[in-house]
Amino acid sequence: MPVLIRIAFRNLLEHKAKSLIIGILLGLGVIILVVGNSFMDTAAQGVKDTFIANYTGDIFVAAKSKEAVSLFGASSMMGGGDQTKNLPYYDKVMAKLRSTPGMIEATSQVTGYGMAALKGYEDVDKDENSTNFLLLFGIDPSTYYKLFTTAKPVMGGLLQPGQVGLVVSKATYDRLSKKSGVQLKIGDTIIVTGMGHAGFKIRSVPLVGVVSFKSDSEATDFISYADVDTVRILSGLTLGNDDDTPVTDEQKSLLAANEDDLFGGGETVTTAAKTAAPKSAAKSPTVVEHKAAQADTGAWYFAMARLKNPSQAPMIIAELNVWFAKEGIDAIASDWKTAAGPFASSIDVVRIVFNIAIIIVAVVAVIIMMNTLVISVIERTGEIGTMRALGAQKSYVRRMFLVETLTIAVVFGLIGSALAIGAVGILNACHIAAGNPFLKILFAGTVLHMSVSPVSVIGSLVLVGIVAVIAHLYPVSLALKVEPVRAMQSE
Amino acid sequence: MLNIFIDESKRQPSDRLSGGQSAHRLKEFYMVIVELQDVRKVYPLGKVEVEAVKGVSFSIEKGDFISIAGPSGSGKSTILNMLGCVDRPTSGTVFIEGRPTKDLSDKDLTTLRHETLGFIFQSFNLIPVLNVYENIEFPLLLGKKGPKGKEKIEWIDYLIHEVGLEQWKTHKPNELSGGQRQRVAIARALVTKPQIVLADEPTANLDSATGTQILDLMKRINREMDTTFIFSTHDAKIVNLADHVVRLKDGLVEENVRQERKD
Repeated sequence: MPVLIRIAFRNLLEHKAKSLIIGILLGLGVIILVVGNSFMDTAAQGVKDTFIANYTGDIFVAAKSKEAVSLFGASSMMGGGDQTKNLPYYDKVMAKLRSTPGMIEATSQVTGYGMAALKGYEDVDKDENSTNFLLLFGIDPSTYYKLFTTAKPVMGGLLQPGQVGLVVSKATYDRLSKKSGVQLKIGDTIIVTGMGHAGFKIRSVPLVGVVSFKSDSEATDFISYADVDTVRILSGLTLGNDDDTPVTDEQKSLLAANEDDLFGGGETVTTAAKTAAPKSAAKSPTVVEHKAAQADTGAWYFAMARLKNPSQAPMIIAELNVWFAKEGIDAIASDWKTAAGPFASSIDVVRIVFNIAIIIVAVVAVIIMMNTLVISVIERTGEIGTMRALGAQKSYVRRMFLVETLTIAVVFGLIGSALAIGAVGILNACHIAAGNPFLKILFAGTVLHMSVSPVSVIGSLVLVGIVAVIAHLYPVSLALKVEPVRAMQSE
Repeated sequence: MLNIFIDESKRQPSDRLSGGQSAHRLKEFYMVIVELQDVRKVYPLGKVEVEAVKGVSFSIEKGDFISIAGPSGSGKSTILNMLGCVDRPTSGTVFIEGRPTKDLSDKDLTTLRHETLGFIFQSFNLIPVLNVYENIEFPLLLGKKGPKGKEKIEWIDYLIHEVGLEQWKTHKPNELSGGQRQRVAIARALVTKPQIVLADEPTANLDSATGTQILDLMKRINREMDTTFIFSTHDAKIVNLADHVVRLKDGLVEENVRQERKD
């Protein structure tokens, strides 16, 4: 082997132009791979860390659904989606989560959507891109903030157990202030119009606090927190049969009347129409209370949990799913990626696009390298023939070209890796700002900060090595066809 | 110059060994190191076929310093290629050390070339990226046999000394003259201690004086190491140095003679 390496190195030096063509291609490939993968890894890790720490936890439990269910609700591939199902056997599921070894805490959530406006103020912002959209997380503050500790109040405070109100992000606060034309204050009443499958619901809630996160991103700026009952009502999770309305004896007598009584006597009925459900009517008037639009207090969409050791998540998720099946609970546990839904898949989409681009570049590189190596084989026909005549087996010739190809791949791969690490350092030093929400997701923050992982470098070198090996297959097949008799032919 | 001519046609050493052969015939058999039996070689040339060798038979004894002579196109290079196992006859058989080569696989032929044959090429064919020492060493790296370690270094140094290139040991081929390159090629051909060395017009690319030096060197090695040298040439002066001459014309043996050794 040493002589093959010696020959390889010297041939690379002897044929500098060809070596440079192949080497630059391989080096560029490594630079693209290392920088690209660092970017992808950074984005993926950033999104993962952000979501686990701020929104999803390590384990996400939801009711089974035909459609993909994320923290943002059920959605089909076509964009629409059915009503998100309530988490079945909520108490049992939560008890199981909390009793699972290694669990820090478990909490639950209802997700809804709405539009916000400051009570008593018109929308003065004419910017078409401006929005007062809210992604509402209805939470249980007693457990939620034990799981997600990164939200820091910049105004007011966090929601307290039993407190009705709204906590918004700093960006949402700024948007709402701009829209209403006044600076919002803690305690101001916000009118939230909920948009759910049950239609539009309107609730007034006080502004309790404004929070910022360790890693803000424009995409998650829309997330606001509210007490769970408010979100349940806005999402249509209301108990219509508990909506009691006081009914007078006179009104009750109308229920007993037949059509002739009502329309035969020519009397005009002026009593208000019935709004109460029969169940309410059956209740004792002393129990009946005015509870307009009271929420279904048993309804939760999701449960989330965090682990002391996040690496155990896949194992615990698997165990939970076995337990759900055994107990006949129609729920499914999954990881943060499922919970993050479109945010996680956006990174995957970018990675797929990047990989497709890499494959195209690799194919082009293979073709160029192949042509260059074919020329090299043609030029070295006499040398190969001489080696064969002197007793070199075909396997020796094959090894010789393989070593040369791998040598060039390793040499220029290492140079490319060094340049890529330098390039990442330069890019980090430039503090490139994310100019739009998509880039903010990819950057996992407002400024690009990449880190090069050894796995990425080694993976890139291996990939470039594979490309080089593929590129050398055809040229080496030509080299193996060189007969030793070619050595006898004058050059 | 006195030449003793022996009629080779009366010698039939190609008889294959059988159980009842006498010790005398056994000895005679093992003296024949190379043999051609009715060898033909046809090359396709476009739509026509060219018969370069038209049924050639002769044998070479161990220690021969044999010249295959003839004008261009007579078939001497084709025969040398078949003797060197780098080309196969269209018909007929080539025997190397009693082994017919026609049925050998590419791998076996390569092994045979490595272990039994040494090559000296007209254009020297040194590996350009290796220096003098490494070029000579190269054939030893292709197989498991041969000297190793210190013994190998001493053997290569001895060969370098024999060809007079001690001062050029670390030089690359492009830093050497034609004569020096051919000396390297000779040392390389001998490094595996082959039974047979094939030289294809070894002096064709050399000036007259250098060519004579190279031939003298080959002759000396032939004498001292008892290595069989088979070389092709069309130079009449060089032919005279050989002790066995096979003269070809139009793909046929025109003359097959032994000459007195000129030691």
